[in-house]
Amino acid sequence: MNLRGAQPTVCFLRLTLEQNSARGSALNFLLAVVVSRPALRFVLPARAQFLYSQLVFPSWNPAQPEISDLVVQHDPKTLQRLPVNKPEILKIFERFQNKKALRAIERIPAKEGFLDPAAVDRLMLTVHWEMQRLAEEFYHGHRVLKLLRATIAAMRSSGHTGPIRIVDVGCGIGYTIRWLAARSMLHKEDVELTGVDLNSTLVNEANRLATQEALPCRFFHGNAFSADLRGHIYISTGVLHHFRGDSLIAFLRQHGNETTQAFVHYDFQPWALAPFGSWFFHVIRMRTALARHDGVLSTARAHNAHTLVSAARAAVPELTTGIYGAKIWNTPAPRVFHALVGFRPALVPQLKQSLGRMLGELP
Amino acid sequence: MTLLLLFLLASLDGALCGCRTSMGRCPLIHNRKYYVMGVLRGVFAAQIVSGFSLICLLLVVAFSRNPQLLRADLVESARRMLFVFLPYAALVLANIALRIVPSTDLRSATSVFFLGPLTGIRPLVMITGVVAGIWRAQLHQTVFLGLFVLTLMLSVEFALNSYCNRLQQRQIRSLV
Repeated sequence: MNLRGAQPTVCFLRLTLEQNSARGSALNFLLAVVVSRPALRFVLPARAQFLYSQLVFPSWNPAQPEISDLVVQHDPKTLQRLPVNKPEILKIFERFQNKKALRAIERIPAKEGFLDPAAVDRLMLTVHWEMQRLAEEFYHGHRVLKLLRATIAAMRSSGHTGPIRIVDVGCGIGYTIRWLAARSMLHKEDVELTGVDLNSTLVNEANRLATQEALPCRFFHGNAFSADLRGHIYISTGVLHHFRGDSLIAFLRQHGNETTQAFVHYDFQPWALAPFGSWFFHVIRMRTALARHDGVLSTARAHNAHTLVSAARAAVPELTTGIYGAKIWNTPAPRVFHALVGFRPALVPQLKQSLGRMLGELP
Repeated sequence: MTLLLLFLLASLDGALCGCRTSMGRCPLIHNRKYYVMGVLRGVFAAQIVSGFSLICLLLVVAFSRNPQLLRADLVESARRMLFVFLPYAALVLANIALRIVPSTDLRSATSVFFLGPLTGIRPLVMITGVVAGIWRAQLHQTVFLGLFVLTLMLSVEFALNSYCNRLQQRQIRSLV
């Protein structure tokens, strides 16, 4: 997924990092003491162990950005691709002592200090092809379809007769939308399947793949919430954690237009073992250094349910928002992904009926 | 029978290696044909390795001073290897079979809790299996053959991965 254009640019990022670093120095001292006495590691409370892991695994530090947030940058207004200064982004990860990220960036060819855009595009395509494999393995299409079917049914019963447009925000190479186009009959039910991303290379690839398989879906380069691209139902996968602090609320606020009926944003569910599980899984399954690094960091950066729901309720109070599918069946075991969902209040009673306990946390 | 079982296990391992090394390299939705090709490529690679191993085995037996003893030693070693390889293969196959159940959670759980970790420990299982087989071998030839086959089997995934990576990079270069 690529939302770099909608994200703050490097300048803003530097500001955020500087705010974090003052708080970090005291912690670093404490952690240095802990690291110098390895035995302490096992008797420390959970919070301290987490901090320890931050020092031991600097690539897991959630305060830093992901590599993919930095190697592709766009002008937020014109969406034009901007040159990326390699030493500048290396400096960002140097501050976190993140050698993994440094190694991954070092490998990207540069010309006169700026990353070679073609090499970056090739890398991003390789990574997105690889990420699709994970979506296939976790049956992501099936999960999204189940929720969309229920939402569409609720919209139809509440009187929505016209076409319904589904927009995948930060669609990347458009796996979810292409899967829905290929494996469901939604397009025959007057549902338009679209994807929007700020990275034109990924959008071109999504369109190429859709054309190659003659799939009834389209992908656009632009802002998903602009007047010409906006939809009735917004979906996304692994996008929310890219927005930090106020930008999360700003992102969600864009759902507040009158056409929006619902949104379903899937993202990693944070819990104690998530980064460990993610690390293990990425080592086994992923091949590129960037995918391995960002995949694990994503789980460390993922927002918890409280943060997501609070942000959504502050941003779009006119929608009923909550978390969908946090637990496996009726057990306390967490799913890898949970979804921040929002619906027009009129849709909620029927959705509760059709989705049952999966929507248990919706008010 | 023991050697045949080992051959079948090697073919199964090749098939899964072929599938694994193909994954994440074809972004189409209808990619069954692509994966079938990947599996067949893996099986083919396993046949090459098995064939090469068989030739080496026959040569070693042919030049052995005591072919009867060597054959018995080889079969006994192979039998010991099966104690490690068969449960591992059964576990992998059981989890693949579980994915027939139409539950996204169950299918995902097989990946997270079993297929992923089982892939991770594959090299370890292969080494353990071969070491268990040759540990009590009476002849040096058996030890040599065991280590030779282990090296070949471990290199299958590496070779397939390199091949698939080359194909993928060529395809991506044609796009960007």
